[in-house]
Amino acid sequence: MMIETATEPRAASPLRGKRILVAKPGLDGHDAGAKVVALAMRDAGAEVIYTGLRKSPAYIARVAIDEDVDAVGLSILSGSHKELVAETIAALKEEDAGDIALFVGGTIPAEDIDALIEMGVRTVFTADMKLDDVVDAVAKALA
Amino acid sequence: MNARAQMTLDRRALGRALSRAANASVEEILAADAGEAATRARRIGVTGPPGAGKSTLIAALARYRLEHAGRVAIIAVDPSSSKTHGSVLGDRIRMDRLVDDPRVYIRSLASRGASDGLAENLPEILAVLDDFGFDEIILETVGVGQSEFAVRDLVDIELLVMAPGAGDQIQAMKAGIIETADIYVVNKADQPGAARAETELRAILTMTAGSAPVPPIIRVQADTGEKMDELDAAIEDCVRRRKEGDADAVRRGRHRVKGLIVRRLNEVLLDMPVALEGRPIREVYDAVMDTLSQRTGP
Repeated sequence: MMIETATEPRAASPLRGKRILVAKPGLDGHDAGAKVVALAMRDAGAEVIYTGLRKSPAYIARVAIDEDVDAVGLSILSGSHKELVAETIAALKEEDAGDIALFVGGTIPAEDIDALIEMGVRTVFTADMKLDDVVDAVAKALA
Repeated sequence: MNARAQMTLDRRALGRALSRAANASVEEILAADAGEAATRARRIGVTGPPGAGKSTLIAALARYRLEHAGRVAIIAVDPSSSKTHGSVLGDRIRMDRLVDDPRVYIRSLASRGASDGLAENLPEILAVLDDFGFDEIILETVGVGQSEFAVRDLVDIELLVMAPGAGDQIQAMKAGIIETADIYVVNKADQPGAARAETELRAILTMTAGSAPVPPIIRVQADTGEKMDELDAAIEDCVRRRKEGDADAVRRGRHRVKGLIVRRLNEVLLDMPVALEGRPIREVYDAVMDTLSQRTGP
Protein backbone atom coordinates (compact mmCIF):
# COMPACT_ATOMS: atom_id res chain seq x y z
CA MET A 1 0.00 0.00 0.00
CA MET A 2 1.35 3.40 -1.02
CA ILE A 3 0.67 6.52 0.97
CA GLU A 4 -1.44 9.09 -0.81
CA THR A 5 -0.73 12.73 -0.14
CA ALA A 6 -2.84 14.21 2.64
CA THR A 7 -5.32 16.81 1.53
CA GLU A 8 -5.54 18.74 4.78
CA PRO A 9 -3.87 22.14 4.79
CA ARG A 10 -0.76 22.52 6.91
CA ALA A 11 -0.15 25.26 9.44
CA ALA A 12 0.19 28.64 7.77
CA SER A 13 3.78 29.79 7.67
CA PRO A 14 3.76 32.57 5.08
CA LEU A 15 7.48 33.25 5.44
CA ARG A 16 8.63 29.64 5.49
CA GLY A 17 12.01 29.21 3.86
CA LYS A 18 12.71 32.95 3.75
CA ARG A 19 15.84 34.36 5.35
CA ILE A 20 15.45 37.83 6.84
CA LEU A 21 18.00 40.12 8.45
CA VAL A 22 16.63 42.50 11.10
CA ALA A 23 19.18 45.25 11.57
CA LYS A 24 19.69 48.30 13.76
CA PRO A 25 21.78 50.93 11.98
CA GLY A 26 22.79 54.20 13.57
CA LEU A 27 23.05 55.35 17.12
CA ASP A 28 19.68 54.85 18.75
CA GLY A 29 19.81 52.29 21.52
CA HIS A 30 16.32 50.85 21.54
CA ASP A 31 15.62 47.50 19.96
CA ALA A 32 12.40 46.35 21.60
CA GLY A 33 10.54 47.03 18.35
CA ALA A 34 13.13 45.27 16.21
CA LYS A 35 13.00 42.22 18.45
CA VAL A 36 9.20 42.06 18.40
CA VAL A 37 9.25 42.17 14.61
CA ALA A 38 12.02 39.55 14.48
CA LEU A 39 9.96 37.17 16.63
CA ALA A 40 6.84 37.78 14.54
CA MET A 41 8.81 36.87 11.40
CA ARG A 42 10.11 33.76 13.11
CA ASP A 43 6.60 32.74 14.09
CA ALA A 44 5.58 33.19 10.46
CA GLY A 45 8.21 30.60 9.51
CA ALA A 46 11.18 32.79 8.58
CA GLU A 47 14.80 32.19 9.49
CA VAL A 48 15.65 35.48 11.16
CA ILE A 49 19.07 36.94 11.85
CA TYR A 50 19.31 39.91 14.18
CA THR A 51 22.38 42.15 14.15
CA GLY A 52 22.21 43.76 17.56
CA LEU A 53 22.46 47.51 18.16
CA ARG A 54 24.43 50.26 16.42
CA LYS A 55 25.65 48.62 13.27
CA SER A 56 27.09 50.47 10.30
CA PRO A 57 25.46 50.17 6.86
CA ALA A 58 28.65 48.45 5.63
CA TYR A 59 28.36 45.85 8.41
CA ILE A 60 24.68 45.27 7.63
CA ALA A 61 25.42 44.80 3.93
CA ARG A 62 28.23 42.35 4.70
CA VAL A 63 25.96 40.21 6.90
CA ALA A 64 23.10 40.38 4.38
CA ILE A 65 25.40 39.11 1.62
CA ASP A 66 27.18 36.41 3.64
CA GLU A 67 23.87 35.12 4.95
CA ASP A 68 22.23 35.45 1.52
CA VAL A 69 19.05 36.87 2.99
CA ASP A 70 15.89 37.52 0.98
CA ALA A 71 15.17 40.75 2.82
CA VAL A 72 16.71 43.28 5.17
CA GLY A 73 14.53 45.11 7.69
CA LEU A 74 16.08 48.28 9.11
CA SER A 75 14.74 49.54 12.43
CA ILE A 76 15.53 53.23 12.84
CA LEU A 77 14.36 55.49 15.65
CA SER A 78 17.07 58.11 15.53
CA GLY A 79 15.66 60.37 12.82
CA SER A 80 18.55 59.83 10.44
CA HIS A 81 16.63 57.29 8.37
CA LYS A 82 17.26 58.98 5.02
CA GLU A 83 21.03 58.93 5.42
CA LEU A 84 21.14 55.39 6.84
CA VAL A 85 18.86 53.99 4.15
CA ALA A 86 20.87 55.66 1.38
CA GLU A 87 24.13 54.29 2.80
CA THR A 88 22.72 50.78 3.23
CA ILE A 89 21.40 50.72 -0.33
CA ALA A 90 24.76 51.96 -1.64
CA ALA A 91 26.64 49.30 0.36
CA LEU A 92 24.37 46.53 -0.97
CA LYS A 93 24.69 47.74 -4.57
CA GLU A 94 28.45 47.93 -4.27
CA GLU A 95 28.51 44.19 -3.61
CA ASP A 96 26.08 43.27 -6.35
CA ALA A 97 23.22 42.79 -3.89
CA GLY A 98 20.88 45.60 -4.88
CA ASP A 99 18.16 43.01 -5.45
CA ILE A 100 17.80 42.16 -1.73
CA ALA A 101 14.45 43.59 -0.62
CA LEU A 102 14.72 46.44 1.89
CA PHE A 103 12.10 47.30 4.49
CA VAL A 104 12.22 50.11 7.02
CA GLY A 105 10.43 50.44 10.33
CA GLY A 106 10.54 52.76 13.31
CA THR A 107 9.75 56.39 13.90
CA ILE A 108 9.46 57.62 10.34
CA PRO A 109 7.49 60.85 9.78
CA ALA A 110 4.69 60.41 7.24
CA GLU A 111 6.20 63.04 4.98
CA ASP A 112 9.42 61.04 4.60
CA ILE A 113 7.83 57.79 3.50
CA ASP A 114 7.56 58.66 -0.18
CA ALA A 115 11.21 59.69 -0.28
CA LEU A 116 12.28 56.32 1.21
CA ILE A 117 10.13 54.40 -1.28
CA GLU A 118 11.67 56.52 -4.04
CA MET A 119 15.12 55.44 -2.85
CA GLY A 120 14.19 51.77 -3.24
CA VAL A 121 12.60 50.75 0.07
CA ARG A 122 9.78 48.24 -0.53
CA THR A 123 7.56 49.20 2.40
CA VAL A 124 7.84 51.52 5.40
CA PHE A 125 6.31 50.19 8.62
CA THR A 126 5.20 52.57 11.32
CA ALA A 127 4.70 51.80 15.00
CA ASP A 128 0.89 51.82 14.73
CA MET A 129 0.82 48.94 12.25
CA LYS A 130 -0.35 45.50 13.32
CA LEU A 131 2.31 42.80 13.35
CA ASP A 132 0.19 40.56 11.15
CA ASP A 133 0.04 43.32 8.54
CA VAL A 134 3.83 43.70 8.66
CA VAL A 135 4.29 39.95 8.15
CA ASP A 136 1.72 39.93 5.33
CA ALA A 137 3.40 42.82 3.54
CA VAL A 138 6.81 41.16 3.74
CA ALA A 139 5.40 37.80 2.61
CA LYS A 140 3.67 39.47 -0.33
CA ALA A 141 6.80 41.35 -1.38
CA LEU A 142 8.92 38.17 -1.24
CA ALA A 143 6.40 35.87 -2.89
CA MET B 1 45.57 23.00 -4.64
CA ASN B 2 42.27 24.62 -5.22
CA ALA B 3 42.56 27.55 -7.62
CA ARG B 4 39.77 29.34 -5.83
CA ALA B 5 41.81 29.56 -2.66
CA GLN B 6 44.13 31.97 -4.43
CA MET B 7 41.36 34.23 -5.65
CA THR B 8 39.46 36.95 -3.87
CA LEU B 9 36.46 35.40 -2.20
CA ASP B 10 33.26 36.17 -4.11
CA ARG B 11 31.00 36.41 -1.07
CA ARG B 12 27.86 37.00 -3.07
CA ALA B 13 28.42 33.89 -5.19
CA LEU B 14 29.32 31.84 -2.11
CA GLY B 15 26.25 33.08 -0.22
CA ARG B 16 24.02 32.01 -3.09
CA ALA B 17 25.76 28.67 -3.57
CA LEU B 18 25.25 27.90 0.11
CA SER B 19 21.55 28.72 -0.16
CA ARG B 20 21.22 26.43 -3.15
CA ALA B 21 22.92 23.63 -1.24
CA ALA B 22 20.75 24.21 1.84
CA ASN B 23 17.55 24.27 -0.20
CA ALA B 24 18.32 21.34 -2.50
CA SER B 25 15.74 18.57 -2.42
CA VAL B 26 16.72 14.98 -1.78
CA GLU B 27 16.20 14.25 -5.45
CA GLU B 28 18.37 17.17 -6.56
CA ILE B 29 21.20 15.99 -4.33
CA LEU B 30 20.94 12.44 -5.62
CA ALA B 31 20.92 13.65 -9.22
CA ALA B 32 23.86 16.03 -8.83
CA ASP B 33 26.26 13.84 -6.90
CA ALA B 34 28.99 12.00 -8.78
CA GLY B 35 30.57 10.26 -5.83
CA GLU B 36 32.18 11.34 -2.63
CA ALA B 37 34.90 13.90 -3.25
CA ALA B 38 37.82 14.20 -0.86
CA THR B 39 37.31 16.96 1.65
CA ARG B 40 39.68 19.88 1.50
CA ALA B 41 39.15 22.09 4.52
CA ARG B 42 40.05 20.95 8.00
CA ARG B 43 36.84 20.68 9.99
CA ILE B 44 36.60 21.54 13.66
CA GLY B 45 33.30 20.78 15.40
CA VAL B 46 32.32 22.72 18.51
CA THR B 47 29.60 21.18 20.60
CA GLY B 48 28.32 21.43 24.15
CA PRO B 49 25.20 22.44 26.03
CA PRO B 50 23.38 25.75 25.46
CA GLY B 51 24.95 28.55 27.46
CA ALA B 52 28.41 26.99 27.53
CA GLY B 53 29.68 29.86 25.42
CA LYS B 54 30.29 28.07 22.14
CA SER B 55 29.81 31.13 19.92
CA THR B 56 32.02 33.35 22.04
CA LEU B 57 34.66 30.64 22.09
CA ILE B 58 34.57 30.31 18.31
CA ALA B 59 34.91 34.08 17.90
CA ALA B 60 38.04 34.01 20.05
CA LEU B 61 39.37 30.83 18.47
CA ALA B 62 39.01 32.04 14.87
CA ARG B 63 41.67 34.70 15.48
CA TYR B 64 44.17 31.99 16.36
CA ARG B 65 43.11 29.64 13.62
CA LEU B 66 43.78 32.35 11.02
CA GLU B 67 47.45 31.93 11.87
CA HIS B 68 47.24 28.41 10.44
CA ALA B 69 44.62 28.86 7.75
CA GLY B 70 44.29 31.51 5.06
CA ARG B 71 40.53 31.45 5.01
CA VAL B 72 38.19 30.29 7.78
CA ALA B 73 34.46 29.60 7.53
CA ILE B 74 32.20 29.41 10.56
CA ILE B 75 28.92 27.52 10.30
CA ALA B 76 26.58 28.05 13.23
CA VAL B 77 23.44 25.95 13.57
CA ASP B 78 20.39 27.06 15.53
CA PRO B 79 17.20 25.06 16.05
CA SER B 80 14.11 25.46 13.87
CA SER B 81 10.63 25.36 15.35
CA SER B 82 9.00 22.10 14.36
CA LYS B 83 5.65 23.89 14.37
CA THR B 84 6.25 27.05 12.35
CA HIS B 85 9.63 26.10 10.82
CA GLY B 86 10.82 29.53 11.92
CA SER B 87 14.11 30.20 13.64
CA VAL B 88 16.14 32.99 15.19
CA LEU B 89 19.75 32.58 14.18
CA GLY B 90 21.49 34.33 17.04
CA ASP B 91 24.98 32.85 17.23
CA ARG B 92 26.73 35.30 14.98
CA ILE B 93 25.87 38.24 17.21
CA ARG B 94 28.64 36.95 19.51
CA MET B 95 31.06 36.81 16.62
CA ASP B 96 30.60 40.47 15.78
CA ARG B 97 34.22 41.45 15.77
CA LEU B 98 35.06 38.96 13.03
CA VAL B 99 32.78 40.59 10.48
CA ASP B 100 35.38 43.15 9.39
CA ASP B 101 37.93 40.44 8.62
CA PRO B 102 37.77 39.49 4.92
CA ARG B 103 39.39 36.11 5.66
CA VAL B 104 36.40 35.02 7.76
CA TYR B 105 33.00 33.96 6.48
CA ILE B 106 30.17 33.32 8.93
CA ARG B 107 27.00 31.55 7.90
CA SER B 108 24.02 30.81 10.15
CA LEU B 109 21.95 27.72 9.47
CA ALA B 110 18.58 26.65 10.79
CA SER B 111 18.44 22.96 11.67
CA ARG B 112 15.20 22.59 9.69
CA GLY B 113 14.15 18.92 9.74
CA ALA B 114 17.39 17.60 11.23
CA SER B 115 16.97 16.40 14.79
CA ASP B 116 20.61 15.44 15.40
CA GLY B 117 21.80 18.90 16.45
CA LEU B 118 23.05 19.65 12.97
CA ALA B 119 21.27 20.97 9.88
CA GLU B 120 19.67 19.43 6.81
CA ASN B 121 22.02 19.11 3.84
CA LEU B 122 25.06 19.89 5.99
CA PRO B 123 27.39 17.58 4.01
CA GLU B 124 26.41 19.41 0.83
CA ILE B 125 26.88 22.78 2.52
CA LEU B 126 30.37 21.84 3.73
CA ALA B 127 31.26 20.66 0.21
CA VAL B 128 30.46 24.13 -1.13
CA LEU B 129 32.94 25.64 1.32
CA ASP B 130 35.59 23.18 0.12
CA ASP B 131 34.82 24.25 -3.40
CA PHE B 132 35.34 27.91 -2.52
CA GLY B 133 38.81 27.26 -1.20
CA PHE B 134 38.40 27.44 2.57
CA ASP B 135 41.25 25.99 4.60
CA GLU B 136 39.32 25.47 7.78
CA ILE B 137 35.68 25.20 8.79
CA ILE B 138 34.50 25.66 12.37
CA LEU B 139 31.11 24.07 12.89
CA GLU B 140 28.93 25.03 15.86
CA THR B 141 26.16 22.59 16.72
CA VAL B 142 22.80 23.35 18.29
CA GLY B 143 24.13 21.91 21.53
CA VAL B 144 21.20 19.74 22.50
CA GLY B 145 20.16 16.24 21.68
CA GLN B 146 22.70 13.95 20.16
CA SER B 147 24.77 16.55 18.37
CA GLU B 148 27.99 15.26 19.91
CA PHE B 149 27.56 11.99 18.07
CA ALA B 150 26.38 13.41 14.78
CA VAL B 151 29.09 16.04 14.50
CA ARG B 152 31.73 13.37 15.05
CA ASP B 153 30.82 11.93 11.66
CA LEU B 154 31.54 15.15 9.83
CA VAL B 155 34.52 16.77 11.52
CA ASP B 156 38.22 16.02 11.91
CA ILE B 157 38.52 17.46 15.40
CA GLU B 158 35.75 17.75 17.94
CA LEU B 159 35.72 20.19 20.85
CA LEU B 160 33.27 19.75 23.70
CA VAL B 161 32.66 22.98 25.59
CA MET B 162 31.19 23.23 29.07
CA ALA B 163 30.67 25.97 31.61
CA PRO B 164 31.11 25.74 35.39
CA GLY B 165 28.09 24.67 37.35
CA ALA B 166 27.55 22.03 34.74
CA GLY B 167 27.57 19.15 37.22
CA ASP B 168 24.22 17.96 35.95
CA GLN B 169 25.41 18.22 32.39
CA ILE B 170 28.39 16.06 33.19
CA GLN B 171 26.09 13.52 34.82
CA ALA B 172 23.92 13.49 31.74
CA MET B 173 26.95 13.11 29.54
CA LYS B 174 28.46 10.22 31.38
CA ALA B 175 26.63 7.73 29.27
CA GLY B 176 28.98 7.80 26.38
CA ILE B 177 28.40 11.17 24.83
CA ILE B 178 31.41 12.56 26.51
CA GLU B 179 33.75 10.02 24.98
CA THR B 180 33.59 11.32 21.45
CA ALA B 181 35.49 14.62 21.71
CA ASP B 182 39.19 15.15 21.03
CA ILE B 183 39.54 18.19 23.28
CA TYR B 184 37.46 19.23 26.29
CA VAL B 185 37.03 22.89 27.16
CA VAL B 186 35.83 24.33 30.45
CA ASN B 187 34.81 27.87 29.51
CA LYS B 188 34.13 30.82 31.83
CA ALA B 189 37.19 30.05 33.93
CA ASP B 190 36.53 33.16 36.05
CA GLN B 191 33.30 31.77 37.42
CA PRO B 192 33.12 29.88 40.69
CA GLY B 193 33.22 26.17 40.20
CA ALA B 194 35.47 26.20 37.13
CA ALA B 195 38.24 24.26 38.87
CA ARG B 196 35.73 21.79 40.22
CA ALA B 197 34.14 21.28 36.81
CA GLU B 198 37.57 20.52 35.41
CA THR B 199 38.30 18.04 38.21
CA GLU B 200 35.00 16.22 37.71
CA LEU B 201 35.52 16.11 33.99
CA ARG B 202 39.02 14.75 34.42
CA ALA B 203 37.76 12.03 36.75
CA ILE B 204 35.16 10.87 34.26
CA LEU B 205 37.51 11.00 31.30
CA THR B 206 40.21 9.14 33.19
CA MET B 207 37.70 6.45 34.01
CA THR B 208 36.48 6.12 30.40
CA ALA B 209 39.96 6.32 28.91
CA GLY B 210 41.15 3.20 30.72
CA SER B 211 44.71 2.60 29.64
CA ALA B 212 44.48 5.12 26.77
CA PRO B 213 45.74 8.68 27.31
CA VAL B 214 43.25 11.12 28.78
CA PRO B 215 42.33 13.75 26.17
CA PRO B 216 43.32 17.36 26.87
CA ILE B 217 41.09 19.41 29.15
CA ILE B 218 41.63 23.14 28.89
CA ARG B 219 40.16 25.80 31.14
CA VAL B 220 39.65 29.03 29.17
CA GLN B 221 37.92 32.36 29.40
CA ALA B 222 36.78 32.95 25.85
CA ASP B 223 35.51 36.51 26.35
CA THR B 224 38.91 37.79 27.53
CA GLY B 225 40.93 35.37 25.42
CA GLU B 226 42.62 33.80 28.42
CA LYS B 227 44.21 30.41 27.69
CA MET B 228 42.93 30.50 24.14
CA ASP B 229 46.53 30.07 23.00
CA GLU B 230 46.62 26.78 24.89
CA LEU B 231 43.44 25.61 23.21
CA ASP B 232 44.86 26.55 19.83
CA ALA B 233 48.05 24.62 20.60
CA ALA B 234 46.01 21.57 21.62
CA ILE B 235 44.17 21.74 18.31
CA GLU B 236 47.44 21.96 16.40
CA ASP B 237 48.70 18.98 18.33
CA CYS B 238 45.57 17.06 17.33
CA VAL B 239 46.08 18.08 13.71
CA ARG B 240 49.63 16.74 13.75
CA ARG B 241 48.71 13.43 15.35
CA ARG B 242 45.62 12.88 13.29
CA LYS B 243 45.76 10.66 10.23
CA GLU B 244 42.97 10.61 7.71
CA GLY B 245 41.75 7.03 7.48
CA ASP B 246 39.22 5.04 5.50
CA ALA B 247 37.00 5.06 8.56
CA ASP B 248 36.52 8.83 8.19
CA ALA B 249 35.20 8.51 4.66
CA VAL B 250 32.93 5.64 5.73
CA ARG B 251 31.48 7.68 8.59
CA ARG B 252 30.94 10.69 6.35
CA GLY B 253 29.26 8.54 3.73
CA ARG B 254 26.94 6.92 6.26
CA HIS B 255 26.06 10.25 7.80
CA ARG B 256 25.21 11.65 4.39
CA VAL B 257 22.92 8.85 3.28
CA LYS B 258 21.25 8.77 6.69
CA GLY B 259 20.54 12.49 6.46
CA LEU B 260 18.86 12.05 3.08
CA ILE B 261 16.79 9.10 4.24
CA VAL B 262 15.66 10.94 7.39
CA ARG B 263 14.59 13.88 5.25
CA ARG B 264 12.65 11.63 2.91
CA LEU B 265 11.09 9.82 5.86
CA ASN B 266 9.97 13.11 7.39
CA GLU B 267 8.30 14.04 4.11
CA VAL B 268 6.52 10.69 3.95
CA LEU B 269 5.35 10.93 7.56
CA LEU B 270 4.12 14.48 7.04
CA ASP B 271 2.03 13.30 4.10
CA MET B 272 0.69 10.28 5.94
CA PRO B 273 -3.07 10.11 5.43
CA VAL B 274 -5.51 10.28 8.28
CA ALA B 275 -6.90 6.94 7.01
CA LEU B 276 -3.90 5.20 8.55
CA GLU B 277 -4.59 6.55 12.03
CA GLY B 278 -5.62 3.87 14.45
CA ARG B 279 -4.54 1.10 12.07
CA PRO B 280 -2.31 -1.67 13.44
CA ILE B 281 1.28 -0.49 13.67
CA ARG B 282 2.47 -3.25 11.31
CA GLU B 283 0.19 -1.91 8.58
CA VAL B 284 1.36 1.68 9.10
CA TYR B 285 4.99 0.57 9.14
CA ASP B 286 4.62 -1.40 5.93
CA ALA B 287 2.86 1.50 4.23
CA VAL B 288 5.66 3.88 5.18
CA MET B 289 8.33 1.43 4.05
CA ASP B 290 6.52 0.87 0.75
CA THR B 291 6.39 4.57 0.11
CA LEU B 292 10.03 5.06 1.06
CA SER B 293 11.16 2.35 -1.33
CA GLN B 294 9.57 4.14 -4.29
CA ARG B 295 11.90 6.39 -6.24
CA THR B 296 11.05 10.05 -5.84
CA GLY B 297 11.00 12.71 -8.52
CA PRO B 298 11.43 12.19 -12.24
